[in-house]
Amino acid sequence: MQPILTAQDRENLVSPLFKFDRQFWMTIAVLSVITLPGLALYVRQLFLGLGVTDLNRPVFWGAYLVNFIFLIGISMAGTVISAVLHLLHIEWRRPITRIAESLTVFGLMTAGLQIIMDMGRPDRLLNTLIYGRLQAPLMWDIASLTLYLLTASFALYLQLLPDIAFMRDSTPDNAPTWRKKLYSTLSLGWRGNKEQWARLEKAITAVSVILIPIGVSLHTVTSWLFSTTVQPGWKSTILGPYFVVGAIYSGIGLLFIAVTFATQYNHHLKGYITDTFYKNLGWIFIVMSFVWFYFTLNETLVVTTEQETLEFPVMAAKLFGEFAPAFWGMNVLMVATTWILIALKLPNKARSNPLFKTTTGLVMTALAVVTFIALALNIPALHASLVKTVLLGAFIVFFILALLGLTGWFQAHLIPSTVIASAFVLFGMWLERWNILMPTLTHARIIPYTTYFPTVTEVALTISTFGILTLIFVVFYKFFPSISIWEVEAGRALEQKNGG
Amino acid sequence: MNFPMDEPLFQFFYWLVNTPGLGSVAIALLVGAAMTIFFLTLRWIVSAKNEGEEGLPFPPQH
Repeated sequence: MQPILTAQDRENLVSPLFKFDRQFWMTIAVLSVITLPGLALYVRQLFLGLGVTDLNRPVFWGAYLVNFIFLIGISMAGTVISAVLHLLHIEWRRPITRIAESLTVFGLMTAGLQIIMDMGRPDRLLNTLIYGRLQAPLMWDIASLTLYLLTASFALYLQLLPDIAFMRDSTPDNAPTWRKKLYSTLSLGWRGNKEQWARLEKAITAVSVILIPIGVSLHTVTSWLFSTTVQPGWKSTILGPYFVVGAIYSGIGLLFIAVTFATQYNHHLKGYITDTFYKNLGWIFIVMSFVWFYFTLNETLVVTTEQETLEFPVMAAKLFGEFAPAFWGMNVLMVATTWILIALKLPNKARSNPLFKTTTGLVMTALAVVTFIALALNIPALHASLVKTVLLGAFIVFFILALLGLTGWFQAHLIPSTVIASAFVLFGMWLERWNILMPTLTHARIIPYTTYFPTVTEVALTISTFGILTLIFVVFYKFFPSISIWEVEAGRALEQKNGG
Repeated sequence: MNFPMDEPLFQFFYWLVNTPGLGSVAIALLVGAAMTIFFLTLRWIVSAKNEGEEGLPFPPQH
Protein backbone atom coordinates (compact mmCIF):
# COMPACT_ATOMS: atom_id res chain seq x y z
CA MET A 1 0.00 0.00 0.00
CA GLN A 2 1.51 3.28 -1.13
CA PRO A 3 1.14 6.54 0.83
CA ILE A 4 -1.34 8.90 -0.80
CA LEU A 5 0.23 11.94 0.82
CA THR A 6 1.88 14.13 -1.81
CA ALA A 7 4.89 16.39 -1.38
CA GLN A 8 2.46 19.31 -1.42
CA ASP A 9 0.48 17.76 1.45
CA ARG A 10 3.69 17.39 3.39
CA GLU A 11 4.48 21.05 2.74
CA ASN A 12 0.98 22.11 3.81
CA LEU A 13 0.58 19.98 6.92
CA VAL A 14 4.04 19.30 8.32
CA SER A 15 6.34 22.16 7.31
CA PRO A 16 4.41 24.91 9.17
CA LEU A 17 4.96 23.00 12.42
CA PHE A 18 8.69 23.64 12.22
CA LYS A 19 8.50 27.31 11.23
CA PHE A 20 8.37 29.66 14.19
CA ASP A 21 7.66 32.64 12.00
CA ARG A 22 6.61 36.20 12.75
CA GLN A 23 2.92 35.32 12.50
CA PHE A 24 3.28 32.77 15.31
CA TRP A 25 5.15 35.11 17.64
CA MET A 26 2.72 37.94 16.91
CA THR A 27 -0.20 35.68 17.79
CA ILE A 28 1.50 34.65 21.02
CA ALA A 29 2.22 38.31 21.85
CA VAL A 30 -1.39 39.40 21.23
CA LEU A 31 -2.79 36.52 23.28
CA SER A 32 -0.34 37.25 26.10
CA VAL A 33 -1.46 40.88 26.16
CA ILE A 34 -5.06 39.67 26.44
CA THR A 35 -4.21 37.13 29.13
CA LEU A 36 -1.72 38.90 31.40
CA PRO A 37 -3.90 41.66 32.96
CA GLY A 38 -6.31 39.02 34.25
CA LEU A 39 -3.49 36.93 35.69
CA ALA A 40 -2.06 40.02 37.42
CA LEU A 41 -5.48 40.74 38.92
CA TYR A 42 -5.74 37.09 40.01
CA VAL A 43 -2.52 37.49 42.01
CA ARG A 44 -4.12 40.54 43.61
CA GLN A 45 -7.24 38.50 44.37
CA LEU A 46 -5.04 35.82 45.90
CA PHE A 47 -3.57 38.32 48.35
CA LEU A 48 -6.67 40.40 49.08
CA GLY A 49 -9.25 37.64 48.95
CA LEU A 50 -12.60 37.35 47.16
CA GLY A 51 -13.53 40.81 48.46
CA VAL A 52 -12.11 42.19 45.22
CA THR A 53 -14.98 40.50 43.40
CA ASP A 54 -18.68 41.20 43.82
CA LEU A 55 -19.14 37.72 45.31
CA ASN A 56 -20.84 37.78 48.67
CA ARG A 57 -23.65 35.95 50.44
CA PRO A 58 -25.99 34.86 48.92
CA VAL A 59 -24.28 35.43 45.55
CA PHE A 60 -21.43 33.00 46.23
CA TRP A 61 -21.17 32.05 42.54
CA GLY A 62 -20.65 34.68 39.88
CA ALA A 63 -18.85 35.17 36.57
CA TYR A 64 -16.32 32.41 37.37
CA LEU A 65 -19.03 29.77 37.70
CA VAL A 66 -20.79 31.09 34.60
CA ASN A 67 -17.48 30.61 32.75
CA PHE A 68 -17.13 27.13 34.27
CA ILE A 69 -20.50 25.95 33.01
CA PHE A 70 -19.96 27.63 29.66
CA LEU A 71 -16.55 25.98 29.19
CA ILE A 72 -17.85 22.59 30.29
CA GLY A 73 -20.56 23.10 27.68
CA ILE A 74 -18.33 24.02 24.77
CA SER A 75 -16.03 21.14 25.63
CA MET A 76 -18.78 18.62 25.11
CA ALA A 77 -19.49 18.90 21.42
CA GLY A 78 -15.94 18.34 20.21
CA THR A 79 -15.42 14.79 21.33
CA VAL A 80 -19.06 13.76 21.33
CA ILE A 81 -19.62 15.02 17.77
CA SER A 82 -16.40 13.43 16.64
CA ALA A 83 -17.44 10.15 18.34
CA VAL A 84 -20.92 10.17 16.80
CA LEU A 85 -19.61 11.00 13.33
CA HIS A 86 -16.97 8.27 13.67
CA LEU A 87 -19.51 5.65 14.68
CA LEU A 88 -21.78 6.65 11.79
CA HIS A 89 -18.83 6.55 9.33
CA ILE A 90 -19.50 10.11 8.16
CA GLU A 91 -16.70 10.89 5.73
CA TRP A 92 -16.60 14.70 5.99
CA ARG A 93 -15.63 14.35 9.65
CA ARG A 94 -12.06 13.35 8.82
CA PRO A 95 -10.34 16.76 8.54
CA ILE A 96 -12.06 18.22 11.62
CA THR A 97 -11.74 15.28 14.04
CA ARG A 98 -8.46 16.47 15.55
CA ILE A 99 -9.60 20.04 16.22
CA ALA A 100 -12.93 18.82 17.62
CA GLU A 101 -11.29 16.42 20.07
CA SER A 102 -8.65 18.88 21.20
CA LEU A 103 -11.29 21.54 21.94
CA THR A 104 -12.81 19.18 24.49
CA VAL A 105 -9.52 18.70 26.32
CA PHE A 106 -8.58 22.39 26.27
CA GLY A 107 -12.10 23.46 27.27
CA LEU A 108 -12.08 21.13 30.26
CA MET A 109 -8.63 22.29 31.33
CA THR A 110 -9.71 25.94 31.34
CA ALA A 111 -13.00 25.02 33.03
CA GLY A 112 -11.00 23.47 35.89
CA LEU A 113 -9.15 26.77 36.29
CA GLN A 114 -12.45 28.54 37.02
CA ILE A 115 -12.96 26.47 40.15
CA ILE A 116 -9.55 27.54 41.46
CA MET A 117 -10.29 31.18 40.57
CA ASP A 118 -13.58 30.94 42.45
CA MET A 119 -11.85 29.83 45.64
CA GLY A 120 -10.82 32.49 48.11
CA ARG A 121 -8.32 29.99 49.55
CA PRO A 122 -7.11 27.77 46.71
CA ASP A 123 -4.60 26.27 49.14
CA ARG A 124 -7.60 24.46 50.62
CA LEU A 125 -8.47 22.80 47.32
CA LEU A 126 -7.37 19.41 48.61
CA ASN A 127 -9.90 19.67 51.43
CA THR A 128 -12.65 19.04 48.89
CA LEU A 129 -11.12 15.60 48.39
CA ILE A 130 -10.04 14.91 51.96
CA TYR A 131 -13.49 15.70 53.34
CA GLY A 132 -15.51 14.98 50.21
CA ARG A 133 -18.61 12.84 50.78
CA LEU A 134 -20.37 10.71 48.22
CA GLN A 135 -23.65 12.54 48.75
CA ALA A 136 -22.20 15.86 47.56
CA PRO A 137 -23.09 16.82 43.96
CA LEU A 138 -19.74 18.65 43.82
CA MET A 139 -18.01 15.27 44.23
CA TRP A 140 -20.09 13.82 41.41
CA ASP A 141 -19.02 16.74 39.26
CA ILE A 142 -15.34 16.25 40.11
CA ALA A 143 -15.66 12.54 39.30
CA SER A 144 -17.47 13.16 36.04
CA LEU A 145 -15.16 15.96 34.93
CA THR A 146 -12.01 13.98 35.74
CA LEU A 147 -13.28 10.91 33.91
CA TYR A 148 -14.32 12.94 30.88
CA LEU A 149 -10.99 14.81 30.77
CA LEU A 150 -9.04 11.54 31.00
CA THR A 151 -11.14 9.75 28.38
CA ALA A 152 -11.17 12.73 26.00
CA SER A 153 -7.36 13.08 26.36
CA PHE A 154 -7.00 9.36 25.69
CA ALA A 155 -9.24 9.63 22.60
CA LEU A 156 -7.16 12.56 21.35
CA TYR A 157 -3.94 10.64 21.96
CA LEU A 158 -5.19 7.51 20.18
CA GLN A 159 -6.17 9.63 17.22
CA LEU A 160 -2.78 11.37 17.27
CA LEU A 161 -0.62 8.27 17.64
CA PRO A 162 -0.07 7.45 13.93
CA ASP A 163 0.53 11.13 13.17
CA ILE A 164 3.07 11.43 15.98
CA ALA A 165 4.92 8.47 14.44
CA PHE A 166 4.65 10.21 11.08
CA MET A 167 6.15 13.36 12.64
CA ARG A 168 8.90 11.24 14.20
CA ASP A 169 9.82 9.95 10.74
CA SER A 170 9.39 13.33 9.00
CA THR A 171 11.22 15.63 11.44
CA PRO A 172 13.66 17.79 9.44
CA ASP A 173 17.35 17.23 10.19
CA ASN A 174 17.74 20.76 11.52
CA ALA A 175 14.91 20.32 14.05
CA PRO A 176 15.93 20.52 17.73
CA THR A 177 16.90 17.24 19.35
CA TRP A 178 14.32 17.59 22.13
CA ARG A 179 11.60 17.77 19.54
CA LYS A 180 12.79 14.58 17.87
CA LYS A 181 12.87 12.92 21.30
CA LEU A 182 9.37 14.20 22.05
CA TYR A 183 7.88 12.57 18.92
CA SER A 184 9.96 9.45 19.42
CA THR A 185 8.76 9.02 23.02
CA LEU A 186 5.12 9.87 22.34
CA SER A 187 4.89 7.57 19.32
CA LEU A 188 5.44 4.56 21.62
CA GLY A 189 7.29 2.73 18.87
CA TRP A 190 4.35 2.76 16.47
CA ARG A 191 5.33 0.98 13.23
CA GLY A 192 1.99 1.07 11.45
CA ASN A 193 1.66 -2.64 10.76
CA LYS A 194 -1.64 -4.23 9.83
CA GLU A 195 -2.38 -5.57 13.30
CA GLN A 196 -1.55 -2.26 15.01
CA TRP A 197 -3.99 -0.45 12.72
CA ALA A 198 -6.68 -3.03 13.36
CA ARG A 199 -6.26 -2.70 17.13
CA LEU A 200 -6.12 1.09 16.97
CA GLU A 201 -9.38 1.24 15.04
CA LYS A 202 -11.05 -1.08 17.55
CA ALA A 203 -9.83 1.07 20.43
CA ILE A 204 -11.00 4.31 18.77
CA THR A 205 -14.45 2.81 18.19
CA ALA A 206 -14.66 1.57 21.81
CA VAL A 207 -13.61 4.96 23.19
CA SER A 208 -16.14 6.69 20.91
CA VAL A 209 -18.91 4.54 22.38
CA ILE A 210 -17.77 5.24 25.95
CA LEU A 211 -17.31 8.99 25.41
CA ILE A 212 -20.90 9.74 24.47
CA PRO A 213 -22.51 8.68 27.80
CA ILE A 214 -19.63 10.19 29.80
CA GLY A 215 -20.08 13.51 27.97
CA VAL A 216 -23.82 13.49 28.57
CA SER A 217 -23.28 12.55 32.23
CA LEU A 218 -20.85 15.44 32.80
CA HIS A 219 -23.33 18.05 31.61
CA THR A 220 -26.18 16.44 33.48
CA VAL A 221 -24.17 16.22 36.69
CA THR A 222 -23.15 19.89 36.33
CA SER A 223 -26.84 20.79 36.13
CA TRP A 224 -27.44 18.75 39.30
CA LEU A 225 -25.24 21.23 41.21
CA PHE A 226 -28.25 23.50 40.82
CA SER A 227 -31.30 21.30 40.41
CA THR A 228 -30.63 19.29 43.58
CA THR A 229 -31.07 22.47 45.65
CA VAL A 230 -34.39 23.99 46.70
CA GLN A 231 -33.62 27.36 45.14
CA PRO A 232 -36.29 28.89 42.88
CA GLY A 233 -35.39 28.66 39.21
CA TRP A 234 -33.05 25.73 39.76
CA LYS A 235 -35.19 22.90 41.12
CA SER A 236 -36.22 21.75 37.70
CA THR A 237 -36.20 18.30 36.14
CA ILE A 238 -35.50 19.74 32.71
CA LEU A 239 -32.18 21.35 33.67
CA GLY A 240 -30.08 18.22 32.89
CA PRO A 241 -31.18 17.78 29.27
CA TYR A 242 -31.28 21.58 28.86
CA PHE A 243 -27.59 21.73 29.80
CA VAL A 244 -26.75 18.90 27.40
CA VAL A 245 -28.59 20.57 24.50
CA GLY A 246 -26.93 23.91 25.26
CA ALA A 247 -23.56 22.20 25.45
CA ILE A 248 -23.86 20.59 22.01
CA TYR A 249 -25.24 23.81 20.54
CA SER A 250 -22.42 26.02 21.85
CA GLY A 251 -19.81 23.32 21.17
CA ILE A 252 -20.72 23.25 17.48
CA GLY A 253 -20.38 27.04 17.46
CA LEU A 254 -16.89 26.84 18.93
CA LEU A 255 -15.93 24.09 16.49
CA PHE A 256 -16.89 26.30 13.53
CA ILE A 257 -14.90 29.20 14.95
CA ALA A 258 -11.85 27.07 15.80
CA VAL A 259 -11.79 25.40 12.38
CA THR A 260 -12.12 28.78 10.62
CA PHE A 261 -9.39 30.24 12.85
CA ALA A 262 -7.12 27.29 11.97
CA THR A 263 -7.73 27.71 8.23
CA GLN A 264 -7.12 31.46 8.44
CA TYR A 265 -3.94 30.86 10.42
CA ASN A 266 -2.65 28.29 7.90
CA HIS A 267 -4.25 29.04 4.52
CA HIS A 268 -3.15 25.69 3.13
CA LEU A 269 -5.69 23.93 5.35
CA LYS A 270 -8.48 25.34 3.18
CA GLY A 271 -7.71 22.60 0.70
CA TYR A 272 -8.70 19.99 3.29
CA ILE A 273 -11.53 21.68 5.19
CA THR A 274 -14.00 22.46 2.46
CA ASP A 275 -17.48 24.01 2.33
CA THR A 276 -18.97 20.52 2.74
CA PHE A 277 -18.08 20.60 6.44
CA TYR A 278 -19.81 23.98 6.92
CA LYS A 279 -22.87 22.89 4.96
CA ASN A 280 -23.32 19.50 6.62
CA LEU A 281 -22.60 20.50 10.21
CA GLY A 282 -24.80 23.54 9.54
CA TRP A 283 -27.80 21.18 9.36
CA ILE A 284 -27.01 19.79 12.81
CA PHE A 285 -26.58 23.37 14.03
CA ILE A 286 -30.09 24.25 12.80
CA VAL A 287 -31.59 21.20 14.50
CA MET A 288 -29.84 22.08 17.76
CA SER A 289 -31.13 25.66 17.59
CA PHE A 290 -34.72 24.38 17.35
CA VAL A 291 -34.20 21.91 20.19
CA TRP A 292 -32.69 24.70 22.29
CA PHE A 293 -35.71 26.96 21.63
CA TYR A 294 -38.02 24.10 22.57
CA PHE A 295 -36.31 23.68 25.95
CA THR A 296 -36.15 27.43 26.60
CA LEU A 297 -39.86 27.74 25.84
CA ASN A 298 -40.61 24.83 28.19
CA GLU A 299 -38.62 26.36 31.02
CA THR A 300 -40.10 29.84 30.56
CA LEU A 301 -43.70 28.89 29.83
CA VAL A 302 -44.20 26.53 32.78
CA VAL A 303 -42.81 28.91 35.41
CA THR A 304 -44.59 31.92 33.93
CA THR A 305 -48.00 30.29 33.80
CA GLU A 306 -47.88 28.64 37.23
CA GLN A 307 -46.70 31.92 38.91
CA GLU A 308 -45.53 30.09 42.02
CA THR A 309 -44.64 32.50 44.90
CA LEU A 310 -40.92 31.77 45.02
CA GLU A 311 -40.32 30.81 41.40
CA PHE A 312 -42.06 33.67 39.65
CA PRO A 313 -39.93 36.58 40.97
CA VAL A 314 -36.88 34.86 39.45
CA MET A 315 -38.63 34.52 36.11
CA ALA A 316 -40.02 38.09 36.37
CA ALA A 317 -36.47 39.39 36.91
CA LYS A 318 -35.57 37.76 33.60
CA LEU A 319 -38.66 38.79 31.67
CA PHE A 320 -39.09 42.38 32.86
CA GLY A 321 -36.52 43.08 35.58
CA GLU A 322 -32.79 43.65 35.89
CA PHE A 323 -31.94 40.49 33.96
CA ALA A 324 -34.23 41.33 31.02
CA PRO A 325 -31.41 42.71 28.80
CA ALA A 326 -29.43 39.47 29.25
CA PHE A 327 -32.49 37.25 28.78
CA TRP A 328 -33.90 39.04 25.73
CA GLY A 329 -30.39 39.68 24.39
CA MET A 330 -29.83 35.91 24.47
CA ASN A 331 -33.11 35.26 22.63
CA VAL A 332 -32.44 37.94 20.02
CA LEU A 333 -29.01 36.45 19.31
CA MET A 334 -30.45 32.96 19.00
CA VAL A 335 -33.24 34.09 16.66
CA ALA A 336 -30.63 35.88 14.52
CA THR A 337 -28.48 32.72 14.51
CA THR A 338 -31.35 30.50 13.46
CA TRP A 339 -32.27 32.87 10.63
CA ILE A 340 -28.66 33.06 9.39
CA LEU A 341 -28.44 29.27 9.35
CA ILE A 342 -31.77 28.93 7.55
CA ALA A 343 -30.83 31.67 5.07
CA LEU A 344 -27.76 29.62 4.11
CA LYS A 345 -30.07 26.77 3.11
CA LEU A 346 -32.55 28.89 1.12
CA PRO A 347 -32.45 28.86 -2.70
CA ASN A 348 -30.07 31.50 -4.06
CA LYS A 349 -32.82 33.28 -6.00
CA ALA A 350 -33.88 34.81 -2.67
CA ARG A 351 -31.02 37.21 -3.22
CA SER A 352 -32.82 38.93 -6.09
CA ASN A 353 -35.71 39.93 -3.80
CA PRO A 354 -35.68 43.75 -3.28
CA LEU A 355 -36.17 43.19 0.44
CA PHE A 356 -32.79 41.49 0.65
CA LYS A 357 -30.51 44.48 0.18
CA THR A 358 -27.34 44.54 2.24
CA THR A 359 -27.41 48.32 2.73
CA THR A 360 -30.98 48.16 4.05
CA GLY A 361 -29.91 45.30 6.31
CA LEU A 362 -26.97 47.24 7.77
CA VAL A 363 -29.06 50.38 8.43
CA MET A 364 -31.79 48.30 10.06
CA THR A 365 -29.20 46.44 12.15
CA ALA A 366 -27.85 49.75 13.45
CA LEU A 367 -31.37 50.95 14.28
CA ALA A 368 -32.21 47.64 15.96
CA VAL A 369 -29.05 47.83 18.10
CA VAL A 370 -29.82 51.42 19.14
CA THR A 371 -33.42 50.64 20.10
CA PHE A 372 -32.35 47.50 21.99
CA ILE A 373 -29.75 49.49 23.96
CA ALA A 374 -32.36 52.18 24.70
CA LEU A 375 -34.71 49.50 26.04
CA ALA A 376 -31.95 47.74 27.97
CA LEU A 377 -30.58 50.88 29.63
CA ASN A 378 -34.00 51.57 31.13
CA ILE A 379 -33.62 55.34 30.70
CA PRO A 380 -36.09 57.20 33.02
CA ALA A 381 -37.20 59.51 30.17
CA LEU A 382 -38.46 56.42 28.34
CA HIS A 383 -40.39 55.02 31.30
CA ALA A 384 -43.84 55.99 29.96
CA SER A 385 -45.47 52.75 28.91
CA LEU A 386 -46.48 54.14 25.50
CA VAL A 387 -42.92 55.17 24.68
CA LYS A 388 -41.67 51.74 25.75
CA THR A 389 -44.29 49.99 23.62
CA VAL A 390 -43.39 52.10 20.60
CA LEU A 391 -39.68 51.37 21.14
CA LEU A 392 -40.36 47.66 21.48
CA GLY A 393 -42.47 47.64 18.31
CA ALA A 394 -39.79 49.61 16.47
CA PHE A 395 -37.11 47.16 17.62
CA ILE A 396 -39.10 44.17 16.36
CA VAL A 397 -39.64 45.81 12.95
CA PHE A 398 -35.96 46.89 12.64
CA PHE A 399 -34.77 43.44 13.72
CA ILE A 400 -36.91 41.60 11.14
CA LEU A 401 -35.93 44.02 8.36
CA ALA A 402 -32.26 43.71 9.36
CA LEU A 403 -32.34 39.92 9.08
CA LEU A 404 -34.23 40.05 5.78
CA GLY A 405 -31.93 42.74 4.39
CA LEU A 406 -28.78 40.79 5.20
CA THR A 407 -30.12 37.48 3.87
CA GLY A 408 -28.49 37.97 0.46
CA TRP A 409 -25.13 38.70 2.07
CA PHE A 410 -25.43 35.64 4.32
CA GLN A 411 -26.14 33.45 1.30
CA ALA A 412 -23.18 34.80 -0.62
CA HIS A 413 -20.76 34.31 2.28
CA LEU A 414 -21.09 30.81 3.70
CA ILE A 415 -18.06 30.77 6.01
CA PRO A 416 -18.26 34.35 7.43
CA SER A 417 -22.01 33.90 8.01
CA THR A 418 -21.46 30.60 9.80
CA VAL A 419 -18.78 32.22 11.97
CA ILE A 420 -21.10 35.14 12.81
CA ALA A 421 -23.88 32.68 13.71
CA SER A 422 -21.40 30.71 15.84
CA ALA A 423 -20.21 33.83 17.65
CA PHE A 424 -23.85 34.73 18.36
CA VAL A 425 -24.44 31.25 19.75
CA LEU A 426 -21.35 31.40 21.97
CA PHE A 427 -22.27 34.80 23.37
CA GLY A 428 -25.92 33.80 23.67
CA MET A 429 -25.03 30.60 25.49
CA TRP A 430 -22.76 32.48 27.90
CA LEU A 431 -25.74 34.74 28.61
CA GLU A 432 -27.93 31.65 29.05
CA ARG A 433 -25.62 30.34 31.79
CA TRP A 434 -25.68 33.81 33.34
CA ASN A 435 -29.49 33.78 33.19
CA ILE A 436 -29.63 30.41 34.92
CA LEU A 437 -27.26 31.34 37.74
CA MET A 438 -27.58 34.98 38.62
CA PRO A 439 -31.37 35.59 38.82
CA THR A 440 -31.69 32.73 41.30
CA LEU A 441 -28.69 33.74 43.39
CA THR A 442 -29.94 37.32 43.66
CA HIS A 443 -33.50 36.13 44.35
CA ALA A 444 -32.75 33.27 46.71
CA ARG A 445 -35.52 31.87 48.90
CA ILE A 446 -36.14 33.16 52.44
CA ILE A 447 -33.32 35.74 52.52
CA PRO A 448 -33.66 39.33 51.12
CA TYR A 449 -33.04 39.89 47.42
CA THR A 450 -29.71 41.37 46.38
CA THR A 451 -27.72 42.39 43.29
CA TYR A 452 -24.53 41.27 41.59
CA PHE A 453 -22.35 42.76 38.90
CA PRO A 454 -18.90 41.42 37.99
CA THR A 455 -15.96 43.62 39.00
CA VAL A 456 -12.92 44.48 36.87
CA THR A 457 -11.11 41.44 38.35
CA GLU A 458 -13.85 39.06 37.25
CA VAL A 459 -14.16 40.61 33.79
CA ALA A 460 -10.37 40.56 33.28
CA LEU A 461 -10.12 36.94 34.41
CA THR A 462 -12.96 35.99 32.08
CA ILE A 463 -11.07 37.58 29.17
CA SER A 464 -7.86 35.85 30.37
CA THR A 465 -9.64 32.51 30.37
CA PHE A 466 -10.49 32.79 26.69
CA GLY A 467 -6.97 34.08 26.03
CA ILE A 468 -5.52 31.00 27.74
CA LEU A 469 -7.85 28.71 25.79
CA THR A 470 -6.70 30.21 22.48
CA LEU A 471 -3.07 30.19 23.61
CA ILE A 472 -3.17 26.46 24.39
CA PHE A 473 -4.82 25.87 21.00
CA VAL A 474 -2.15 27.83 19.09
CA VAL A 475 0.80 26.29 20.95
CA PHE A 476 -0.54 22.72 20.71
CA TYR A 477 -0.96 23.00 16.96
CA LYS A 478 2.60 24.25 16.60
CA PHE A 479 3.70 20.79 17.69
CA PHE A 480 1.01 18.52 16.26
CA PRO A 481 -0.82 18.62 12.93
CA SER A 482 -4.25 20.24 13.24
CA ILE A 483 -5.60 17.91 10.58
CA SER A 484 -5.43 14.19 11.08
CA ILE A 485 -3.02 13.17 8.33
CA TRP A 486 -3.86 9.47 8.42
CA GLU A 487 -7.59 10.17 8.42
CA VAL A 488 -7.23 12.37 5.34
CA GLU A 489 -5.21 9.64 3.62
CA ALA A 490 -7.77 7.00 4.57
CA GLY A 491 -10.53 9.23 3.18
CA ARG A 492 -8.69 9.65 -0.11
CA ALA A 493 -8.06 5.92 -0.32
CA LEU A 494 -11.77 5.31 0.16
CA GLU A 495 -12.59 7.88 -2.53
CA GLN A 496 -10.21 6.18 -4.96
CA LYS A 497 -11.68 2.79 -4.13
CA ASN A 498 -15.18 4.07 -4.78
CA GLY A 499 -14.02 5.70 -8.01
CA GLY A 500 -14.38 9.23 -6.60
CA MET B 1 -44.05 3.06 59.96
CA ASN B 2 -40.94 1.12 58.99
CA PHE B 3 -38.21 3.72 59.08
CA PRO B 4 -35.53 2.43 56.68
CA MET B 5 -32.71 3.56 58.97
CA ASP B 6 -33.59 0.67 61.29
CA GLU B 7 -32.29 -1.68 58.61
CA PRO B 8 -28.52 -2.43 58.70
CA LEU B 9 -28.36 -2.12 54.91
CA PHE B 10 -29.65 1.46 55.03
CA GLN B 11 -27.32 2.21 57.93
CA PHE B 12 -24.49 1.06 55.71
CA PHE B 13 -25.72 3.27 52.85
CA TYR B 14 -25.94 6.20 55.26
CA TRP B 15 -22.35 5.57 56.35
CA LEU B 16 -21.28 5.19 52.71
CA VAL B 17 -22.62 8.53 51.49
CA ASN B 18 -21.94 10.55 54.64
CA THR B 19 -18.41 9.60 55.60
CA PRO B 20 -15.90 12.37 54.76
CA GLY B 21 -13.20 11.21 52.39
CA LEU B 22 -15.17 8.37 50.83
CA GLY B 23 -16.02 10.60 47.88
CA SER B 24 -12.36 10.95 47.04
CA VAL B 25 -11.86 7.20 47.48
CA ALA B 26 -14.55 6.65 44.86
CA ILE B 27 -12.90 9.19 42.55
CA ALA B 28 -9.49 7.59 43.11
CA LEU B 29 -10.91 4.18 42.20
CA LEU B 30 -12.54 5.61 39.09
CA VAL B 31 -9.40 7.43 37.97
CA GLY B 32 -7.20 4.45 38.80
CA ALA B 33 -9.42 2.08 36.81
CA ALA B 34 -9.58 4.45 33.84
CA MET B 35 -5.81 5.01 33.81
CA THR B 36 -5.14 1.27 34.02
CA ILE B 37 -7.53 0.53 31.15
CA PHE B 38 -6.01 3.28 29.00
CA PHE B 39 -2.46 2.12 29.75
CA LEU B 40 -3.29 -1.51 28.96
CA THR B 41 -5.07 -0.50 25.74
CA LEU B 42 -2.05 1.48 24.56
CA ARG B 43 0.25 -1.43 25.39
CA TRP B 44 -2.06 -3.81 23.54
CA ILE B 45 -2.03 -1.58 20.45
CA VAL B 46 1.70 -0.95 20.19
CA SER B 47 2.68 -4.50 21.09
CA ALA B 48 0.95 -5.90 18.00
CA LYS B 49 3.50 -7.86 15.98
CA ASN B 50 3.09 -8.43 12.31
CA GLU B 51 5.72 -10.05 10.17
CA GLY B 52 4.30 -8.52 6.99
CA GLU B 53 4.29 -4.98 5.75
CA GLU B 54 5.10 -2.15 8.14
CA GLY B 55 4.75 1.62 7.89
CA LEU B 56 1.23 1.51 6.48
CA PRO B 57 0.07 5.16 6.30
CA PHE B 58 -3.57 4.39 7.10
CA PRO B 59 -5.78 1.41 8.08
CA PRO B 60 -5.37 -1.24 5.34
CA GLN B 61 -9.11 -1.99 5.03
CA HIS B 62 -9.57 1.45 3.48
